[in-house]
Amino acid sequence: MAKKGAKLAAKAPIAKSQSDGVTDKKNRRKSNDPPVEAPIAETNEDEEWEDEDSEEDSDLEEEGGGVDFSKLEDINDSDSDSEINNSDSENEDNDEEEEEESEIDVDDLNLDDMDPEEKEELAATTRVRQTINNKDALLAALKRISLVPTDIKKAALVPFAYHMTLVTSKPTQEVIPSIDDDLERELAFLNAARESALKARNLLKKEGVPFTRPTDYFAETLRSDETMEAVKQKMIEAATAKKASAEARKQRDLKKFGKQVQVQKQQERAKEKRATLEKINELKKKRKDGGSASLGAREADDMFDVAVDNELGGGNKAGGKRGRSGGDHGPPNAKRQKKNEKYGFGGKKRFGKSGDAISSGDMSGFSAKRMKNGGGAGDGKKTTFSAMSAKAKGSKPRLGKDKRKGGAGRR
Amino acid sequence: MAAVYKSLAKTSSKADKMDIDEDSKSSGNGVRKNKQRVLILSSRGVTHRHRHLLNDLAAMLPHGRKDVKFDSKSNLYQLNELAELYNCNNVMFFEARKGKDLYMWFSKVPNGPTIKFHAQNLHTMEELHFQGNCLKGSRPILSFDATFETEPHLQVIKEVFTHMFGVPEGTRKSKPFVDHVMGFSVADGKIWIRNYEIREVAKTKGDDGDEEEEGATSKKSKKGGLDSKETDISLIEIGPRFVLTPIIIQEGAFGGPIIYENKRFISPNHVRAELRKSKASRHVARQEQTRDNLARKRKLGLENGEAFKDKSGLDTRELFA
Repeated sequence: MAKKGAKLAAKAPIAKSQSDGVTDKKNRRKSNDPPVEAPIAETNEDEEWEDEDSEEDSDLEEEGGGVDFSKLEDINDSDSDSEINNSDSENEDNDEEEEEESEIDVDDLNLDDMDPEEKEELAATTRVRQTINNKDALLAALKRISLVPTDIKKAALVPFAYHMTLVTSKPTQEVIPSIDDDLERELAFLNAARESALKARNLLKKEGVPFTRPTDYFAETLRSDETMEAVKQKMIEAATAKKASAEARKQRDLKKFGKQVQVQKQQERAKEKRATLEKINELKKKRKDGGSASLGAREADDMFDVAVDNELGGGNKAGGKRGRSGGDHGPPNAKRQKKNEKYGFGGKKRFGKSGDAISSGDMSGFSAKRMKNGGGAGDGKKTTFSAMSAKAKGSKPRLGKDKRKGGAGRR
Repeated sequence: MAAVYKSLAKTSSKADKMDIDEDSKSSGNGVRKNKQRVLILSSRGVTHRHRHLLNDLAAMLPHGRKDVKFDSKSNLYQLNELAELYNCNNVMFFEARKGKDLYMWFSKVPNGPTIKFHAQNLHTMEELHFQGNCLKGSRPILSFDATFETEPHLQVIKEVFTHMFGVPEGTRKSKPFVDHVMGFSVADGKIWIRNYEIREVAKTKGDDGDEEEEGATSKKSKKGGLDSKETDISLIEIGPRFVLTPIIIQEGAFGGPIIYENKRFISPNHVRAELRKSKASRHVARQEQTRDNLARKRKLGLENGEAFKDKSGLDTRELFA
């Protein structure tokens, strides 16, 4: 579609019918005139028209307009020069042109009977892209618009600040290993630009053109402050995200390491335990083999345990003892004892004071001597207290069952 | 006072310049005053990205004139009149097609040439999130790849780029300092355009590779009595980014014969069609298979439930009919 439009646009100013255009093209190709001529004549017309139109522009263009015809000849001259230089390439060009012509002819033959619309459609779909590279015309166009004269001597007089254009020393294409490698490609572009920037700075400083922006020079920037703020925010976010991820990784590693430590500790503990058990077994064996065989089983065990305790350095001495001989112990303290008595502590309370077979069989408080002395019972009958006090020197009164038991427990 | 001084200075300098110009004219130097104005506009049907790119470029060019969307894709020569109306001698026209493809026309009005590009990989300043920034309207350094000098069509493109993207000296609204570079590189038959901020940083003594490079330049600057030794240049990208594939060059402004055509350019329509075709081929193959199956069945007479019959004269039915 674009092609069509371009064609139409191309034909409109020339104001020729389609077929005419084709034949015209052919004629121009066959004749030896450079193809530049027609459009240049056209441009001359334009310029003249422009001269009439605006004074300012005419000032600018005047020299161009005035010199144009001579320029034209210049172009022709240069063309001929180049032709002499590149006679081989010129031959190739001719060949190409012939090819193009033949293609055009074939197209014409085929498409003559069709509707113009159909024709265009077909042309759009089946058109083979031709190699058009009219170097002469391109160079002429370049000469027409170039700011800096193409002559090297004259170009040297133009200050750099005038155009600010630089060409790098190396083609970037060669530097880029693969066009799909984004990083390498962008780096190549950046390096090329940097080279130019360095060169340009020197050139500009030499010409006395201000280059560096002073720090106190504030002006509107290309990108607004909000945008830059957003960019900064984004960068900060990225940085914090990076930091957080690093921290998380560190934590993870630590966790992993902590686990290792824990496992190690557990292993150590297990090892210790195993070692202790082994020691115990060994000691047991020793005991069995040694003179302890004559002792009773229970007694032997007790003895053994004490020995083990000694062996282990008395670590669990107290605990071991308590576990074994709780009943044989005396009461913990007086207060506790009292409380135990008052509120009760284990065992059966009822009939605790009543006599039974044992108590009646207990003759510990009985003395035959007192019985033989006599009067003891009478005294006792009068007042227990006085009797007790009277007989305190000689003998203790017999205590009750409960007391007696308690006394026995106290040892 | 300042204003008076300024105006006086201006007139005097102008007079000087005129003298110089006349001198140059008489001496045949032929350096024209660099006066460029660029009309920047798009067709209808541009996407938001195209529009943002256009805005970015318009912001970068103080000598640009942004206009409303142009409502035609076939009569582009009308743009010449439009440019004339706005006193512009360059036109940068964004032509969007199918709401996705962007073609950029760079034209020198009124005498041409016109270059048509296909723009790809567009990334606007905003979406790129680069750190770089520069003064609005400062003059860029235009850094062209060495390849631009090798071919005539690339030379033409370079010249047109210089007119379009280079801010002429003394443009209104332009800033007096140079703080960005525009890079134009040719790779893979395409032109890659980048925009970098120049940041001058205190030079570190660690990098020896640059030191040597810098050594030569600093010597030069010493001769000039300037101190560029202390600072090094680092570039930070600003954006936008885009890639242009040249398609054609016309001799006139939106008209005239085509003087260059890129054979390597493949239309995005064609690319898409190929993609579709490759997808369609599967369907076609399946269709063919079913048709073949049907044909085979018909040939065997299985279609109507009766077997294929040989109607020769020796058939029993024929004989004893």
